[in-house]
Amino acid sequence: MSVLEVRGLQVRRGRRQVVHDVDLTLARGEVVAVLGPNGAGKSTLVEAVGGLLPSQGAVRIEGRAATVLQTPGLARRTARANVELALAWWGVPRRERRARAMAALDLMRAAHLAGRQAGSLSGGEARRVHLARGVAVAPDLLLLDEPFAGLDPESHAALSEDATSALRATGGGVLVVLHDRADAWAMADRVAVLVDGRLVADAAPDRLLAAPPTAEVARFLGYDGCLVDASGSTLTRAPHVRLVPAGEPGLLEGAVARVVRLQDGARVEVATAAGTVWALVDATDPGGLPRVGARVGVRVSGGVRFPPSV
Amino acid sequence: MRFFLEGLAEAWDIVWAHEPWLVQLVVVTLKVAFISTGVALLIGLPLGLALGLGRFRGRGVLMTLANAGLGLPPVIVGLVFALLMFPQAPLGRFHLLFTLNGVLVAQTALALPIVVALTASAVRGVAPGLLAQARAYRARRWRVCVLALREARVGIMAATIAAVGSGLSEVGAVVLVGGNIDGLDQTLASAALQRIEAARFAEGLAIGIVLLGLILVITAALTVLQAGGGATRRVGRSS
Repeated sequence: MSVLEVRGLQVRRGRRQVVHDVDLTLARGEVVAVLGPNGAGKSTLVEAVGGLLPSQGAVRIEGRAATVLQTPGLARRTARANVELALAWWGVPRRERRARAMAALDLMRAAHLAGRQAGSLSGGEARRVHLARGVAVAPDLLLLDEPFAGLDPESHAALSEDATSALRATGGGVLVVLHDRADAWAMADRVAVLVDGRLVADAAPDRLLAAPPTAEVARFLGYDGCLVDASGSTLTRAPHVRLVPAGEPGLLEGAVARVVRLQDGARVEVATAAGTVWALVDATDPGGLPRVGARVGVRVSGGVRFPPSV
Repeated sequence: MRFFLEGLAEAWDIVWAHEPWLVQLVVVTLKVAFISTGVALLIGLPLGLALGLGRFRGRGVLMTLANAGLGLPPVIVGLVFALLMFPQAPLGRFHLLFTLNGVLVAQTALALPIVVALTASAVRGVAPGLLAQARAYRARRWRVCVLALREARVGIMAATIAAVGSGLSEVGAVVLVGGNIDGLDQTLASAALQRIEAARFAEGLAIGIVLLGLILVITAALTVLQAGGGATRRVGRSS
């Protein structure tokens, strides 16, 4: 049973149309991630669904919705009191607030912060308390706008892991705007891609990655290689490409254009006659990391095909 | 210097003797300061809240007016109110001229812009996103207002201190509206002016000592309250 049904949603900011004709449904217990480039209208979409912005179209919510905004605005009181405050806003009776606040902080692995003043919390801790407010009110539909924005990679990874289980524990539907694709894959049952205010894809993460509906979506999802032939284009991601020694007959060959060092290897860009591809090279490879300008063979397995117009 | 020291000693004797006229001046001064501040807070807090939270056309103009009110010349305010309170004037039927109530009205008018402007600024300085977050959780309007006032309490205490300070030391409006009538609406500051004009320097100095003492004690008490309201206990590391 769907907890959210959006039909033909349109949002204008001043003279600019930011969201165009968006249709979206979300079932109870489902987590849907909204991804898209900067300025695509993701936050606007969530705020409009949450009723915080005027919009046109139909938004039907089965029950009550709460929106966790991007900025973790905390009141000058303890972490627990901040969660209790959200419960008061939500209309929860006073006698239930303390227990629910502590349970939510516990789910967010922030119970040890309960007595700390908001001003003394680090960025990651403040975000945990911010998310605990959303978990505590446990709405039928929880809307979140970039809940991990501005965190260092370590805090980000820890928080996204804990948030995933905590958000599912609310039992309601969750619509979450994310910036990082990896978070969407870790958290969501479905991924909706918004480009220029238009919903251009909506599918389960693995299905979407395996078969992006358009080249634009494919590029956004990390398909950064493009090989062109007479019948169309093949877009590739690094896992589709393997570098082998040059000289094998019938093998696509090219020159190494760029080597971007990673912790355990490198991303290597190879320019071929058919186009450019990126490959991952392990630092422990017997041949070592290739040098810029070196000739290499390129073996492609996978990728997605699009017609010539791409 | 000797003249000053002798005057100071004589003034101290007057203070120490708890002269009834001096006690009466203290009572009137406290009444003027606290009643006018109380009324200004009652009217000014909702107005400051509306200016700080509201998004409506003309808010910038109103904010500018409130800020300009911080520099209102008390003599001009006193003059305008005195003219308005003349028997044939719009406020004449209330018989406020040369009464303590008249002084209270004028002093409230002086304290009001202080409360409005400083409250609006304090509310606008509340942690970004907090009030928006309250609205995003469907908080009722009154809860958002209470939250804004609570979060802005340090600034609101500053407004209260400034309004009380203005009430304690105001002269121009008190003299023009109240007539500086001994035993009726004369305050410490206006009495000091009168005594000095009459060359009764020891009494003027005695009044000055009491007035400064009052200002120090009251503002210290309010400052302690303000520090308590804004304190955030820091426990553990902050990274």
